[in-house]
Amino acid sequence: MVVPSDQYCISNGYKMEFEAMGASQTLPDYQAAMQQDPDLRMVITKMGQIMADRGFPLKDLEMELRSMQQEAAEVAMIASSSSGSAVAESPIDVLKRTAKADIILDLSFEIKRQGPQRYITFNLRGLDAYTSKQVSGAAGSGAPSTAATPELLLEEAVLSYMDGFNAGLQRHFDDMFANGREVSVIVRVWDNWYDGDLETYFEYDGDEKELLEHIDDWFYDNTVQGRFNLSDASSTMMRLEQVRIPTTIIDSRGRERAVDTRSFISDLRRHLKQNLNIDSKIYLRGLGEAWLIVGER
Amino acid sequence: MAFVFTFILSETVFSQARHSRRDRKAHYSSSENYEVEIIGVGQDGTKIMKVWGYGKRVEDAIIQAKMNAVASVIFRGIPGGHGAAATPAILTDPSAGDTHADYFDDFFASDGKYIRFINLTTDGMPSGQDRLRMSRPSGYKVAIYVQVMYDNLRRQLEADGVARRLDSGF
Repeated sequence: MVVPSDQYCISNGYKMEFEAMGASQTLPDYQAAMQQDPDLRMVITKMGQIMADRGFPLKDLEMELRSMQQEAAEVAMIASSSSGSAVAESPIDVLKRTAKADIILDLSFEIKRQGPQRYITFNLRGLDAYTSKQVSGAAGSGAPSTAATPELLLEEAVLSYMDGFNAGLQRHFDDMFANGREVSVIVRVWDNWYDGDLETYFEYDGDEKELLEHIDDWFYDNTVQGRFNLSDASSTMMRLEQVRIPTTIIDSRGRERAVDTRSFISDLRRHLKQNLNIDSKIYLRGLGEAWLIVGER
Repeated sequence: MAFVFTFILSETVFSQARHSRRDRKAHYSSSENYEVEIIGVGQDGTKIMKVWGYGKRVEDAIIQAKMNAVASVIFRGIPGGHGAAATPAILTDPSAGDTHADYFDDFFASDGKYIRFINLTTDGMPSGQDRLRMSRPSGYKVAIYVQVMYDNLRRQLEADGVARRLDSGF
């Protein structure tokens, strides 16, 4: 999905300003940008056309915004019947949650003048929605022209940069299929779990180890090439980063199925329940981060 | 110090003088010797470039230039310039040329598929700075302007199983 960058929206006046806890905040107004900016629509359409031609059709921002509005109306109705407290979420978080796009194409451009000539500066970043890492990018300025219209210069910029940008995406996908998709997992312990914590000993397969070590073993066995990084651990928390999960897996019925963060961490929950008799709960934070809270469901 | 300078100078001079006529001939006829310059952003799905070729006759050099145009897009990519961004090679694997050697032998044969992807050229006899006469080995180095059908070429290579599609694996 192509999303105009915060910088583009705010500098062109497509913004929402409000006070939060005494501090003023400015957020991009995607709806206004899509409704009032024909250049932006033209660039998004052109990029969508090129990506669809490559067999990679993009989700449409405008359609997702409509879907969000619908959802927001439904959520408002639910909220009014319960505590009435508002859910604080930035527009991009809401977009990521509703659109579930793997890659966000963060776009900004500007039509600049140099004497009688006009030229385009163009900045396109491909952001992995799972890790927020930039996986591809294209930036630069086009050749100045006196005669060409801004629309033509914009089309030229898109045509000029998309091949290089797609090559970056291809490298990212090649890496993802070879080494797995990168996610983060945090294991926590419920306060009221009386059976122990992550340093309590449990026996599995004839091995008596701390729960933390059993979980560490499970990640080693189930990540692609055993790739993950236990960046922090204590008796109540484990932080696992750069966890490379497989993109597909063969299930018990022999079918090939796509793996996401939830399905991957569900397998760990099943392992803990079946083999160590420990209940746990999964909480998803965005597409690429999951919490597993052990002790009870 | 003077000795070091003399040594470096003599090394430079001798290394330049070392190329024999046979070396130069091998250089001109090398299948990886692409001299390509992009000359602007092409229409949708195309690349416009100036490309050089070598040949005993001007006609041979033009044919080699056309092959070079297609080969550079497939194997090496085109550097940016004149307001156009760099275009990466269609084949991302550096050894893909060797892996599919038989395919590319046919592709770049005299009546091979490569010519389908050259749409427009300045096919008349190049003149002036675009037509250089060489001696030892005697022949011509000529430049032509070509429009390569980049998207069609990429699709053909994907259909033939040589290049990977962006959505392959999903």
